[in-house]
Parts: sequence; C-alpha cells; structure tokens
Amino acid sequence: MMEPSERPILSLVEDALRDLRNRTLAKLDGDLARLVYLASTRDYNTGRYAHDGLSFRFSESVTETVLAAAHREAFASLALSPLRVLVSQLEHYIRSGWAHPDELVEAWNSSEAYRILPPAADDPLTVRLFVSNVKIALAIVKAAWQEPQALQDPRSASQLPSPGR
Amino acid sequence: MSGALILLAIALLLIGLLGLLLRRSDFASSPDASPLLCDATAPSAYQAFEQRRGELLDRIFGPDDWEFVLNHAPKRVQRLFLQERKEIAFYWLSQIRSLAKIAIRIHIAHSRKSDELRPVLELRLAIDYFMIRVKCAIVAAILWLGGPVAVRRMIKQVGGLSEELRGMLELASKGDALSGETRVPR
Repeated sequence: MMEPSERPILSLVEDALRDLRNRTLAKLDGDLARLVYLASTRDYNTGRYAHDGLSFRFSESVTETVLAAAHREAFASLALSPLRVLVSQLEHYIRSGWAHPDELVEAWNSSEAYRILPPAADDPLTVRLFVSNVKIALAIVKAAWQEPQALQDPRSASQLPSPGR
Repeated sequence: MSGALILLAIALLLIGLLGLLLRRSDFASSPDASPLLCDATAPSAYQAFEQRRGELLDRIFGPDDWEFVLNHAPKRVQRLFLQERKEIAFYWLSQIRSLAKIAIRIHIAHSRKSDELRPVLELRLAIDYFMIRVKCAIVAAILWLGGPVAVRRMIKQVGGLSEELRGMLELASKGDALSGETRVPR
C-alpha cells in the first residue's frame, strides 16, 4: 500500500516524465537523437542530471529522477534493438541534423564519443554490446558511403547518399 | 570403457573438491577476504543482467545481426563484427565465472561462521561451481577456435550456463539463510 505522503511525489514524477516526453523528447527525431540528448543532460563531472525548464516547473530532485529514468529507458531500447535498427537510427541521426555527416562519422570514430551515451549504472554487458554495435554501425555507414554499390539490396537499411554527392 | 569414464568423472570431481578446499584455506588466511563479501556492484549488475538475460544473449549470439552484416557490409566490417562479438562473448564468460566465484566465496565465508555444516549442500554447490567452470572453459575453447558463429550453434547450452549460475546463486543463498538460522546464539 502506498504511503499518502508518497503520492504527491509519485504524481509529480509522472507529470514531469509526461512533460519531458511531450515537450522535449517528442520534438527530437529518432531514438538515437533522444539518447544523445538525454546523455547530454548529465554533468560528466558529477553524474547528476539537470534541466532548467523541468527544474523550474518541478524540483531538482524530481528532474534528476525523471531524466535518469528516461535515459535508462532510451538506452535499453536502443542497446537491445537489432543492429539493422541501430544502423538505420544512426543514418537518420546523421542525415537529419548535420551539414557535414562525414565529419560526424570521423569524429565519432576517432574520439569514440558514443561511449558516454550509456547511463552510469547500467549492466556492463549491455553497455559493451551497445558500444560495440555503434562501432559496427559506424563502419557500415562509412562503408555505405565509400562503396554504395555494396548496398544495392532493396532490403538494405542504408539510404544515405554519399557525403560527396 | 564405461568404467574408465566413471573413474575419470570421479577424478575430475575430486580435483574440483580439492581446488575448492584449497581456495577455502586460502581465504581463511587471506587478510583481504572481507572486501569481497561487500562487493556491492555485483548483485545490482547481476540483477540488471537477469532482467535482460534472454534478450541480451539472443542479441549477442543470435543469427539476425550476423545475417544483416553478411548481406549489407563489406568483408572488413564482417571481420570487425566477428571480432567484436567474440570479445563480448569472452567478457560475458568472464562475468559468469566471476559471479560464480563471488557466490562461492560468500557462501564459504558464511559456512565458516556456521556451527552446522551441511555436507550434501556443500557437495551440490561444489559440483555446480565445478560444472559452471568446466562449461565456461568449453564455451571459451569453442569461441577461441570457431568464433561466435560456432557458439551460436550451441545457443541453448550457452543460455543454460546463465540458468545454472542462477541456480547456484539461489542454492548458495538458501544455504546461507539456513546457516544463519542454525547459528547458536551466544
């Protein structure tokens, strides 16, 4: 049985989660974009999540709880999805927001920036699988640009035009 | 022939028990045995892993991702995929081994404090632990020789390894609960 004193906190968290989904996450295009956004709301020095808009409407602790939960959810959904889905998400992410997609792929490849996307306390095996899948997805996307004829199969997830074209 | 196999099985069991007893005496003299007992990260990580276990193993060892890479990526990406999956599989095996080791260490520490030892339970745990180690070694050998594609063919046995670990953890915790109950108050 739920304590009466807990009800307002729980309903606040639910409201904040709805607010985050409807006002912020819904505007982002694709699961990967949402994951990148949620990971970026975390302070890498302290591991704490922050969001000015949410903190203004709710409290800082509610904001932190909600962002952490949304981050875990977004991560688990992508980490356990088939590689084909991740490649498609990655292509969509690159295509929808970047003027120089080849730069993004090079930067992600060289700095391995995608390693900061998983939540801090997640299962290490899931984190490893995700990081590995992103690495492979980047290689597939890069190969699709360099060798577009290799991806002429209509079932192919890749629809990216070569950055040079 | 069957007599030789039985003797071999008994010999392996005795080696396992000997190893376990040696470990036990190591622990009795080890000054840093206690920090192992408060490894707070292991249970939570195991819990998270448990929730996704089936899905995760399907993703790592299942055919979907490999077929996708085989049909849509050049040879070097295929090699990268196999290498990456092999590393993940080795990591998963090391996780199983270390969780089994932690469970047995915690159980040994509890048993040492207990006034009443249960030989059947101890033997079952020792056999379970030994079997997990042997199966991990077999899967590692197959992985090393044939890569993740070879392990995929024995996915049921691979999944069974996690089940066995869970069974062993349950058995160890059951034994620890019993030894807690039977402790004589002083």
